[in-house]
Amino acid sequence: MIEEKPSPGGAVMTQTGQDETRRFRVYRYKRGDGDEHFDEFDVPVGPHTTVLDALRWIKQHKDPSLALRFSCLHASCGTCGMQVDGREALGCVCSVQDHGPEIRVEPLANLPVLTDLVVEMNGFFARFPHEHPIIRSSGAPAEGENGKVHLESGHEVTLDLPSPVPPLHHHPLHHDHRAATPAVDFVRLEDCIECGLCLSACPVAATSHDYVGPAALAAAERLLEEPRGVKREDVLAWASRPEGVWRCHVGLECTRACPAEAIPAERIMALRRELTFGGPDDEEGKR
Amino acid sequence: MHPRHDAHVVIVGGGATGGGLAHDLALRGLRVTLLERGEVTSGTSGRHHGLLHSGARYAVGDREAGVECIRENMILKRIAPGTFECNDGLFVAVCDEDLEYLEPLIEGCTGAGIPVQRLDAAETLRLEPNLNPELKLAVRVPDATVDPMRLILRFFATARHNGADIRPYMEVIGLLAHDGVVTGAAVHDHVTGKEGEIHADLVVNAAGPWSEKVAAMAGAQVPMTPSPGVLLALRGRYCNMVINRMHKSGDGDIVVPQRGLSIIGTTSWVVEDPDDLSVPEDHVERMYTEGSKLIPALRHSERRAAWSAARPLVGSAGAATGRELSRTFQTFDHAEKDGIEGFVTITGGKATTLRGMAELCADVVCRKLGIDEPCHTHETVLLPHTAYYSEAVAA
Amino acid sequence: MSATNELPGSAEREQPGPIHHKGPGPSESGWLDPRGRGHGGRALALHRVTGLVIVFYLYLHLGVLSMLLIGSSAWSSFLSVVTAKSFLAFEVVLIAAVLFHGLNGIRVAFVGSGIAVTRERALFWAGTVIGTVAVIFAALHILGALS
Repeated sequence: MIEEKPSPGGAVMTQTGQDETRRFRVYRYKRGDGDEHFDEFDVPVGPHTTVLDALRWIKQHKDPSLALRFSCLHASCGTCGMQVDGREALGCVCSVQDHGPEIRVEPLANLPVLTDLVVEMNGFFARFPHEHPIIRSSGAPAEGENGKVHLESGHEVTLDLPSPVPPLHHHPLHHDHRAATPAVDFVRLEDCIECGLCLSACPVAATSHDYVGPAALAAAERLLEEPRGVKREDVLAWASRPEGVWRCHVGLECTRACPAEAIPAERIMALRRELTFGGPDDEEGKR
Repeated sequence: MHPRHDAHVVIVGGGATGGGLAHDLALRGLRVTLLERGEVTSGTSGRHHGLLHSGARYAVGDREAGVECIRENMILKRIAPGTFECNDGLFVAVCDEDLEYLEPLIEGCTGAGIPVQRLDAAETLRLEPNLNPELKLAVRVPDATVDPMRLILRFFATARHNGADIRPYMEVIGLLAHDGVVTGAAVHDHVTGKEGEIHADLVVNAAGPWSEKVAAMAGAQVPMTPSPGVLLALRGRYCNMVINRMHKSGDGDIVVPQRGLSIIGTTSWVVEDPDDLSVPEDHVERMYTEGSKLIPALRHSERRAAWSAARPLVGSAGAATGRELSRTFQTFDHAEKDGIEGFVTITGGKATTLRGMAELCADVVCRKLGIDEPCHTHETVLLPHTAYYSEAVAA
Repeated sequence: MSATNELPGSAEREQPGPIHHKGPGPSESGWLDPRGRGHGGRALALHRVTGLVIVFYLYLHLGVLSMLLIGSSAWSSFLSVVTAKSFLAFEVVLIAAVLFHGLNGIRVAFVGSGIAVTRERALFWAGTVIGTVAVIFAALHILGALS
């Protein structure tokens, strides 16, 4: 049994010693007076401190009125989305070491702010297609070094194919992946953690509050990839509305912001390909 | 659905316990208000690795806990379909020493009614090719993987749609009492910065590891030993099934797949304050070491996150690591215990047994309020987690 | 639908909250601000700007051509303005804008129809290289190094 007494320090510390301090400029907003401003806090940090660690330290030791949204602390629940120095991130996996001596923290863009760094997610979820299954088929674990596959777009993703393996032109990445037949039909949770970073990063969503956004469109494409009882024509009809897939202008900021390898931009393009060139409703897969 | 009883219950704490209870009471027709100081599930409930227990881990030492687990496991799969990766789990023996645990494991599970299946090394590796190739054998059990927050959100969503008022960012700063009767709570609203009061016929303390603090607001005693453990998330999905080490509960004895990550857990120590949890680096290193005995590729996988969560263990003094204390839950009726009416605490427990805990507590609540309503949560299918967001957050 | 409205802040929570857009200034600048964006977002912003520039130039061009209707002396004096070195520099900028808009447009057309999605980065850099070479060639030619 290892040493039971942990090293001293609060949630920010994963190593002893408070070597350095960073200044955090945190957006504040309380309803009622409606005043929006930034507060500054000096926070002791260590080599593994995340922005969320620092914010929780601020709440614990400096200002208990700071409202924060978080749950799992490991990029799984998707609730701690925020903008750090103007770039979307999940606070729980955003290392302060990747930022400078002054760090600006703001809530996500394109969704209404409830208070401080918390945005109201109702509008985000309202954009999704009506059917929203979160479980899909899982293949055997991905091959490749460390389970990762390197895409030419510069992204590295951990892929496992749906089972049974769909025809290549349904798969958004045209990936000639190992088509192993898994021993058992396993299932898994969809990659998308519904964090809203993609909607915040999207330049089109900045000017259009009707646009359904990358997360919703990617969810629709996943319904084409694995229908789970949803009709193909319903999905395509939903996607081809004016506020749907054609409002995307290929900014590709969504995939860049996505912390969960849900590759929304690629999925949107796959959806557009289906709508442009049709899909294989016929057996030959003629397009 | 609108409440059909006048009785108003205020629940303090928006974790699995509070959510389960809000759902149960709302279904029984009571008026429910739930107060949570942060986002729902932001305490311990949202932070676990996502295991839906088969009960196998407990069946060896504690048959009752095993029976409870498998029963709740089956119920949850029925009332929350589409939320679990029902891929089963494996207890893997990686060395000869582990084999000594095989018979107790099988016996314990069988005695608790937990289905088990023995697998030889070849079969095991066929199912999970990334496991330690030196493994001896494995036992298959009906574990499952779940997204902790999303499962609990289903309870909150259903409760809300049945008329419960779920209020995140509403912190309880004191309990109102009059003549030895708790009559409500004093609150601070983090959305506006304003303070106020809310009155209740009964207040339920469901604050997990913070239960002792909340109980003290009413002058009641709830001995809690918050017991944190470190968890480690690494990049890479190396398994579909939950992988357990075939030996007694210990550090790093489980690997759970969470989407594209692998979660290794956990360790155990005790603290005074559940808000002040560190993440000792030597614990993280221990996770790497133990986890890679099960799945060698984990040794070189990139760290995504390392965090701590405090188990809400009931009991006190003398516990060194927390592993000595029971994982069962307890309901305290403070009228009996401390002479304080109108106040009940429900605490302890495991994520898997949230519905069962809530049922027992709801029975106590209804009995105290003189309401005769049976529990229906074991057979009521929950709304999807997205339904939590379909009304205004404040409503 | 609340069990009680006793709780403070109930009315405030019902109200719509402020919506933030990236970058300072009016909400419409969310797409224009390149800070915090990747190459895709910046290309989108530049595509819109060059599109506006090209439209503006088109109107200007049509307006200018109408000078032909006035007579040859108006046209000659106009020509002396537009063949001055400083003005020719604007032409190079215009060519750069047209090239960017056209080449980026091809990239967006392909990627946006779901073709060559995994090679989007390659398309972007290919377009950048072709465009840069073409602009340099045009600059040299227009500003007189080659003739």
